[in-house]
Amino acid sequence: MILPAIVLFLVMTIYPFIYMIYNSFTNLDLSKKGTGQFIGLKNYFEIFQDRLAISSIEFTILLVLIAVPLEMIFGLGLSYLLRDLFGEKVLRSLFLIPMMVPAAVGGFGWKMLFNFIFGPINYFLGLLGFQPIEWFGKLNSARMAVMIVEIWQWTPFVFLILYAALQALPKDILDAGKVDGASGWKLFMYIELPLLRPIIYVTLLLRIIDVLRAFDTVYMTTYGGPGSATSTWSFYAYKVTVSYGWNIGYGSALCVILVIVSAILINTLTRILNIGKELGLSKE
Amino acid sequence: MTRKKILRIIRFLVAILVLSIFLFPIYWILITAFKQESEWFTTPPVFWPTKFTLSNFLGTGSTTFGTTTTSIAGIIPFLRNSIVVATTTSLVSTIIAAFAAYAISRTKIGGTGLAGWFISMRFLPPIASAIPLYVIFSRISVLNTWWALILPYLVPTTALSIWLLISFFNEIPQEIEEAAYIDGASRTQAFLQVVLPLSAPGLAAAAILAFIQSWGEFLLALVLTSNASAQTLPVYLGRYITGWRVAWGPLSAAGLVTMLPVIIFALITQRYLIRGLTLGAVK
Repeated sequence: MILPAIVLFLVMTIYPFIYMIYNSFTNLDLSKKGTGQFIGLKNYFEIFQDRLAISSIEFTILLVLIAVPLEMIFGLGLSYLLRDLFGEKVLRSLFLIPMMVPAAVGGFGWKMLFNFIFGPINYFLGLLGFQPIEWFGKLNSARMAVMIVEIWQWTPFVFLILYAALQALPKDILDAGKVDGASGWKLFMYIELPLLRPIIYVTLLLRIIDVLRAFDTVYMTTYGGPGSATSTWSFYAYKVTVSYGWNIGYGSALCVILVIVSAILINTLTRILNIGKELGLSKE
Repeated sequence: MTRKKILRIIRFLVAILVLSIFLFPIYWILITAFKQESEWFTTPPVFWPTKFTLSNFLGTGSTTFGTTTTSIAGIIPFLRNSIVVATTTSLVSTIIAAFAAYAISRTKIGGTGLAGWFISMRFLPPIASAIPLYVIFSRISVLNTWWALILPYLVPTTALSIWLLISFFNEIPQEIEEAAYIDGASRTQAFLQVVLPLSAPGLAAAAILAFIQSWGEFLLALVLTSNASAQTLPVYLGRYITGWRVAWGPLSAAGLVTMLPVIIFALITQRYLIRGLTLGAVK
């Protein structure tokens, strides 16, 4: 009964991955005849000399270092804001919408909002007395724009997890803390935050794994530009293989490293979540 | 008491304000879909259409932008592809996942290792499948067909469904099946006629989740299909967005069509969706 699933994963994941690893050692280029010879580790060395690849990996890391922490902070803030508020159920459902909308649609919506001349964002900035920003035209503003979209889309996700975790905090410990005179900020810093720490780690991991896949938003808003300022790891691999060149060998090498990084993070995640116990497969 | 009340009201108002900011992009797509052409590009932008029009959907507006983007009349094949691909993926993945999850739940086959491996399939970066699959599919002439999307979509959807369904089957007491055996049912009969009906809500949730995932998928669809005979709605959106002056009205209409079913389904299955997306970190 379990066979169809195993066959599916072997055929649709393991086989393509092995094929991809093999390709990463060749110079396979679909636009050129007679390619596909074994060239050893050359593709991998090339990554280190490829300015665009490095900048794409850099931007991916920037997303992890800037956008993800902001998502965590906003998500945590939101979960405190909505805690025990009237209508929290309805509010919570509405807050989930950005995360549920297909990323391609969300990206398109933001593309309209960020428009230099006709976009509402520059209009609002103007009302506040700021100069209009050429959102997709300059390195920093384009990077900021992509981060804003990412944060918009994923803060609800963080909020959702932390909100649920907040509801599930053991009441007796909180009460004991209150009896001992902790309140407000102290209660948060010394009692609630330490209790939330494990779930914060899980959320962080889930987010980082997902940032490694970031593609749709970039494609729909900046298309990696200006130059390659907002190109992510996934997006650059797409560009060298499908969009601008057909350099499958090199793109495969980029993906092999991406998969290795992802696999390490995924492995950590499933261990922290203790999948075996969760599913009743093992006692510990 | 009054001070506490005032604080709560302030908190509520802040929450509403934040919510409006978060929903603003969605609102913008929604109203732009019903704006007439003269209100797509204006300074200041039009925040509430003077007249709601359906021309973006029906293609009865003027034709400043040429024929391809003045309406979403051309959306029908993409809509068809999306429906076929998402529905097939959802049905097939639920069936495969139900079998696997049942086996794991009852026999603990493979233990933590196998279950962990299954689940990890949900998180792999799609670009890493897209590139080798592009080469493989082009060699066996599957490229630009529904199957080119259904097959890779089965991976993350089945992975997620297996995970969801194991917990569902765990909750169904084994005694019920044993009673069926005593009545002379075979293992398959017990599964099909006793366990499956009992786990109908779980199966429905898994199917809807699979549908949502495949409906909104963008990267694989972009790489593995190339025209209206197999491209899905998100790619339709992506195709017309490059270029300086995109026709906002019709594209918003298309965006609306693309996101509406997902939002509705997602709100219905919220609880399972959340459980699935967070891998049980939220119950």
